[in-house]
Amino acid sequence: MADLQLELEKAIRVIKIEVSSSEQEELHKELNNFLLWLEPMLDLDTKDTAQVLFRHDAFNVWRKDRVKQGELAELQEAAPNFAGGFYLVPRIFE
Amino acid sequence: MKYEVVIGLEVHVELLTECKLFCSCPNRFASEPNVNTCPVCLGFPGALPQMSYDALQQALNASVALNCEIALYSYFDRKNYFYPDMPKGYQISQYYRPLGSKGYLVIENDSGGDNKVGIARVHMEEDAGKLVHASSSVSAGSSGTSSSGSSSMVDYNRAGVPLIEIVTEPDLHSSGEARRYLEKLKSVLQYARVSDCKMEEGSLRCDANVSLRPPGGQLFGTKTELKNMNSFRAVEKSLDHEIKRQAAIIDRGDEVVTQTLRWDENKQETIVMRSKLEAHDYRCFADPELAPIELAASEVEKARAALPEMAEARAERLVNDYNLPEYDAKVLTASRCLADYFESCLALYNNPKEVSNWVMGEFSAHLKNAGLEADQCSFQPEDMAELLKMIDEKLISGKLAKEVLEKAFQSGKPPRKVVEEEGLLQISDQSELEEIVDQVISDNPDSIESYRGGKTKALGFLVGQVMKATKGKANPQLVNELLIKKIDG
Amino acid sequence: MELRKTSVRQAVEAVYNRELTAHKLIEQTLKNCSILNETMNIFTHIAGIDALEQAKAVDRKIENGAQLPLAGVPVAVKDDICYGVLPTSFGSAAFKEFISPYTATAVEKLMDAGAIVVGKTNLDDMSQGSTTLSSPFGPTLNPWLAERAAGSAGAAALATGVCMLSLESDNGGALRQGASDCGVIGLRPTAGRISNYGLNTFTSSFGQVGISAFSSENISCAFEIISGFDERDASTAVCRDRSTEKHAVADIEKIKIGYPVNAFDYLEPGLREVYEKTRDEYAARGFMFEEIDLTLLREALQAYYIISAAEASSNHARFDGIRFGKAGKATDLEELYCKTRGVTLGREARRRSVFGTFLLSKGNYDCYYRQALKVWNMVREEFAAAFGRYDIIVLPAVKSLPRPLDEEKEFIEDWADDLYCAPVSLAGLPSLCLPVGRVGQLPVGMQLIGPPFSDEFLVEICNRVFR
Repeated sequence: MADLQLELEKAIRVIKIEVSSSEQEELHKELNNFLLWLEPMLDLDTKDTAQVLFRHDAFNVWRKDRVKQGELAELQEAAPNFAGGFYLVPRIFE
Repeated sequence: MKYEVVIGLEVHVELLTECKLFCSCPNRFASEPNVNTCPVCLGFPGALPQMSYDALQQALNASVALNCEIALYSYFDRKNYFYPDMPKGYQISQYYRPLGSKGYLVIENDSGGDNKVGIARVHMEEDAGKLVHASSSVSAGSSGTSSSGSSSMVDYNRAGVPLIEIVTEPDLHSSGEARRYLEKLKSVLQYARVSDCKMEEGSLRCDANVSLRPPGGQLFGTKTELKNMNSFRAVEKSLDHEIKRQAAIIDRGDEVVTQTLRWDENKQETIVMRSKLEAHDYRCFADPELAPIELAASEVEKARAALPEMAEARAERLVNDYNLPEYDAKVLTASRCLADYFESCLALYNNPKEVSNWVMGEFSAHLKNAGLEADQCSFQPEDMAELLKMIDEKLISGKLAKEVLEKAFQSGKPPRKVVEEEGLLQISDQSELEEIVDQVISDNPDSIESYRGGKTKALGFLVGQVMKATKGKANPQLVNELLIKKIDG
Repeated sequence: MELRKTSVRQAVEAVYNRELTAHKLIEQTLKNCSILNETMNIFTHIAGIDALEQAKAVDRKIENGAQLPLAGVPVAVKDDICYGVLPTSFGSAAFKEFISPYTATAVEKLMDAGAIVVGKTNLDDMSQGSTTLSSPFGPTLNPWLAERAAGSAGAAALATGVCMLSLESDNGGALRQGASDCGVIGLRPTAGRISNYGLNTFTSSFGQVGISAFSSENISCAFEIISGFDERDASTAVCRDRSTEKHAVADIEKIKIGYPVNAFDYLEPGLREVYEKTRDEYAARGFMFEEIDLTLLREALQAYYIISAAEASSNHARFDGIRFGKAGKATDLEELYCKTRGVTLGREARRRSVFGTFLLSKGNYDCYYRQALKVWNMVREEFAAAFGRYDIIVLPAVKSLPRPLDEEKEFIEDWADDLYCAPVSLAGLPSLCLPVGRVGQLPVGMQLIGPPFSDEFLVEICNRVFR
């Protein structure tokens, strides 16, 4: 349980979502319940089963390169902070 | 050196294609930020990636050129991490199944022998955008991204440009070997027409892993990673710097710490980048939005067979076909576009050694000064052929030709026009020259005496006087003949 | 015109005969949408002048002799499908007024055929749910019983007669459960038969654009138009590669129907009787029901939640407040990310992104994610084996009746409600949900599930057998 708490904290940090401490407590319980709920599936014997990676049987789906340039104004209007042709983020010190 | 140096390189190369990897935005330089963008490469919700066939072909060409085994079944994964230059919060890359693996390049080792450098993998991935950290020159807008009023700016023109990453085995043992490997890699990829490999422009980028161990040791020492090296020279220098730094640590009896260092070109030293508290966990999984790639063995063989001639083969051909010295052939083929240039000139002016001298000499010197490759300058093979023909026609002297080349190279004007505009045409008109010759003879009675007295050197002086009076435009051979005729009467 | 009682074909005919104009039809429909929306909360946005202009353009085209198979047909579009004219919220408050710079392929195809988008329909938090209860804009009321949730707002729009077609998405079953809850017909097609380009799905492996309508005939009209290969969605290449496949039986009365009797044990009281009655009725008419075992439903549901949560953590990573959306107030980058994402994603979406991150992390990938990928295979194979013996399989669409608006359920019970739908998503199979009975006032739907590419066949069976 303590390990799970740490792993949950790490997951929240990695996925960069602000979560209140009460929600974090709830999530801890929920994650625990979720993992318990998953047990029947974990118990299935899959050692002779191959994994599936794609929902479709499609292979080799590609397009030929032909340059298209669309309307930029609509794209850029969607940005919360855009100026001088750039998307802006808080200053990053490298 | 009392330690064995172990270096592995990770090189990212931008592929030459019309479009980006997963959308139809152009894969080319733009002077304005964020103009080569669309919903796909900006990661808009619901926009799906569409794989470029050309990029796959280029990655395949690169992999076979690097002697790789090709995965007949491969696919893309998502490498998940946040950074403002990654629009989707993940990079589409090949983690589990790289297209190429187990390749190699042979380079010269430090003792003049061969080092077969293993290439662990060649995989396709998309490039990230670029961050610009200007101070508060651009305001953050009314909503105010930051209280200090300063922002970092993101340009997504490069986001989604097709890359291959080429990872070596830890087979390099000195900074010199690392440089030679990069030179070889660049040559191979340029010859394969996969990438222009311009490190200064970022189309080839290199990270290095370095560690030291006792000679003959089996285990690897703790390695550090070097980033931000913007030229082959910088790679060599930063490796030297890092090797010394690590050796000093081990000499002191301390331990090298795993960290990422950045090469500072101004200070000429490596600087520790902010070390991460947690190791990155990229949570890679197959990208469900793309279809896997299945290649037929015959397609791979076709790509191998269709590989263009590489530098060594071309040098050999230049020696055999044009009777060039081996040295010339090697210099000319060091870069594919220089060799292309040479052969284009030859098609217009068939004197291999003469062309070679000019291309290797004057022309290459100007390229180097201007920081250009042969295919980027305005002095075309036609111009070179024209210049050499003018010498043959005795319109200009060889010496003047150098001046003409320089002016034509810088102005972009054809050499004949330069000659005309600058009034540099050689004077081969006898009557025009006779006047000047007569003048020189009458001005220098002493020299005439010496010459008649058997001092042939005096003739040289007299020729020089005529050349001076014509500002170098006189045909020297004609001047010579005229002087002898007149003095000897 | 009473939309519920009119087929698409009749409506288009009426428009072509000039009995009414597309403009008139849409004008009236938009009025009805607004009136209904005040009480039902069906739409996040209702179309305005643009839709009327589009309708006028359709009328002009008709006068110029254009053939438009959906001329003037009012359609509702779920709000996770991009449409460049009206806002697309994705089920996030931060995107309430977001205008997508592009339009989804399926919407484009409908519009090219003359259909008019009358509104964007409500949805769960980032599409994650089958009730509308987690919507940041409040739940949509069930047209049959207002104190219950609608399941799908698009289905509610159909049931209340404010559109003739509803373009929806289905991940773990929202489209099918919504159709069941509102008493309409919904088709989740074979994976890849309709382009997902422009659908913001949290799970790329299981998200699928589908269509709901009041009759199978209407479904058929729309499906013909919006299905097919789309260069912008790799998964539709199955249409290109397997277009010749046809599913048909000589004598539709003799189709073999697999009836997984064990599955019915999980149903809440009242529902079982509806399904059994349906079976008995059709068996009495001579249809062949055979009992089969589907042994992996529960494990399939669990695998679905592992894979879809993992994909959600990645698919939703793009909501960072830089290129679109609302940026959280922040002085540094980390804060920008955390604040923006904490607000953009609701409680359900936050839960799934966090769980998904956990499941993909080093150590957990092998234990959970890889196992789920293998179970995915087992589930596919179990269905494939069943289709070796049966033409179709029937399954309930829902485990319980539409949820009371005020009922608080543990999240895991919510997820468990996808028991009959998520396994079908996992197998990538086509499923058509049709109403088969009622418990009290509330309709109950049943899934007809066929092998891959049997979509048209399912519609035909629905049309000819289960009327």
